[in-house]
Amino acid sequence: MNRTLVRILLILIAVAAVALPAFAGDYPLQVARNIMLYMALAISWDMLLRSGQISFGIAGLFGIGAYAAILGVVRAGMPTWLSIPFAAVFAALVAFLIGFVILRLRAMYFSIVTLALGEIFRIIVHNLHDFTGGPEGVVMQQGVMFGGNASKLYWLVLAGLLVAIAASYWFEKSRIHFALTAIRNNEISAKSSGVDIFRWLLLAFVVTSAIQGMLGGIFVMSYGFAAPDVVFSADFTLLPLAMALLGGVYSTRGPIFGAILLGLVAEWLKLKIPYGHLVVYGIMIIIVILFMPQGLKNLLKPAAKRAEGRSA
Amino acid sequence: MGPSLRRHNLNIQAVKMAIKQRKAIIFAISIATAVVLILWKPTVLIYGLQAAGLYAAVAIPMGLVLGIVHIVNLSHGEFMMLASYATYTVCRALGVDPLIALIPAALVTALFGWVVFQLTIRRALKAPELNQLILTFGLAIAFSQIINLIFTSQTYKLSLEYSSMSLDIGDLSFGVWSFVFVAVAVIYAVGLQMFLTKTRTGKAALAVGQNPKGAAIVGIDVYRTYGLVFALAIGLVGAMGALFLTKSAIFPGVGSPFTMKSFSLVAMAGIGNIPGILGASVLLGLAENFLRSFRGTRDWAEIVYFVLIIAVILSRSLKGKKS
Repeated sequence: MNRTLVRILLILIAVAAVALPAFAGDYPLQVARNIMLYMALAISWDMLLRSGQISFGIAGLFGIGAYAAILGVVRAGMPTWLSIPFAAVFAALVAFLIGFVILRLRAMYFSIVTLALGEIFRIIVHNLHDFTGGPEGVVMQQGVMFGGNASKLYWLVLAGLLVAIAASYWFEKSRIHFALTAIRNNEISAKSSGVDIFRWLLLAFVVTSAIQGMLGGIFVMSYGFAAPDVVFSADFTLLPLAMALLGGVYSTRGPIFGAILLGLVAEWLKLKIPYGHLVVYGIMIIIVILFMPQGLKNLLKPAAKRAEGRSA
Repeated sequence: MGPSLRRHNLNIQAVKMAIKQRKAIIFAISIATAVVLILWKPTVLIYGLQAAGLYAAVAIPMGLVLGIVHIVNLSHGEFMMLASYATYTVCRALGVDPLIALIPAALVTALFGWVVFQLTIRRALKAPELNQLILTFGLAIAFSQIINLIFTSQTYKLSLEYSSMSLDIGDLSFGVWSFVFVAVAVIYAVGLQMFLTKTRTGKAALAVGQNPKGAAIVGIDVYRTYGLVFALAIGLVGAMGALFLTKSAIFPGVGSPFTMKSFSLVAMAGIGNIPGILGASVLLGLAENFLRSFRGTRDWAEIVYFVLIIAVILSRSLKGKKS
């Protein structure tokens, strides 16, 4: 396929994505919002994965962003539009502080600690009744952002997704890409080539956490409500992870494909089977890990390019 | 060379002394804690030990898998959950007691564990560690969601007379049935220790755990051993699943906290140290029940093991960096 064709196609997709509210009803818009939210989370997870670090703490940072946003509005009287960047900054700050300690851990220890931290955040929010509203959560008295206008809320999530995609491309096209790939492939040789491992990991962790926090803010502003069991739900870790794995990791395209495919399948299954439709995620993860560790994105590439990728 | 060797020996002696001293200190502290608790808050000691028994009995099989097969099985607790549901279904259908179903449950889950190992985990053993982590994570989701699909998220419980037995000493009244978990934990720890050091298969398993390549060279079938150890561990967890049903209500997510708890206990004890899991469980059980015994801190008891796991992992990794 030549480049101009790809460009035209991309522009068409972008126009269609922006213009979707003009011709889609409320239900498709709602589905699209969900898929875009998980897609953005999947991209952010993948961005950190490019350094070889698997985070199981997406839900933790998502929840922190969600609570930062809603408490900023409810307790500090912040305007709703400001609460979303505030959520991003707050999550970034938390990530910066904990990153100093936990980014010295590797492999399964890093993963388990991120999972444990997510649980700790949830329990803290759950137990600070007076400030966070405890298990019942907080409700925004002034209601949902934009007065619940479905099109505007759609564009809000789309904007969040574009931020994630832009950040991911920045990671892919700049020297960050080389640093993270070097760290993933072999830390010792990366170090001896002068890569400051800790600094790059901290950068990646803070940026991805900021994106996750921002998405938490967007989520909570478009529902006007936060409770520990909702915003710290394991789904926010699980679904993005499965989507990125299915689509193919270490890229921006992979998580996008994965999210569209898995998001639509799950939405369809949700209508058919109310309990346990998430089983498809578990099975998808198992199949991908066992039979196609490269994900789907490689199946779409022409065979010649695939062979080239293998030899590299 | 002479002086340096001598210095080396001195170093070893110093380390041995330090270990002895540390053991004595830990022993003294635990005795003191026990005495204080008996006098001040006996229920913390009783419920703490009962909880510790449950944690340890579930964690010990995970320690076995981690020590020999070297995988972190994130679906560990889900295997227990599956065994509980299977036992529940059988007990309901045939009207038998879960205690009678204990051994069959263990055998069936062991077989199931072996099949799961052969179909999935075995294929990922050579893959990077992270693939194994994600694979078992996927298994965990698949298991709990399949149960969700069949049984919905409703909770099920068997009402059994013996499990609500209680004992009165003075004005103190407490449930005694949960002490069965303590007994099982001790049996598991001692039994596994015997199995690994006294039997032929156990010794082979230990050898595989220490050096799979070396074990293969001396003629041990490494993958067969992995499969056996995994099946054994899952069988032990399966028995715990049946036993768990005697005491607690079950729902699809009932197993997953045990995965985290087990991992933190195994990490605390140090990989390959099965008796250490008992000690770590007692610490965790007492700490949780201590916080639970005060009105102000009751809700925070849940946080203990997450904090503990992070503290342990961090201190271990920092210590590792220094040496």
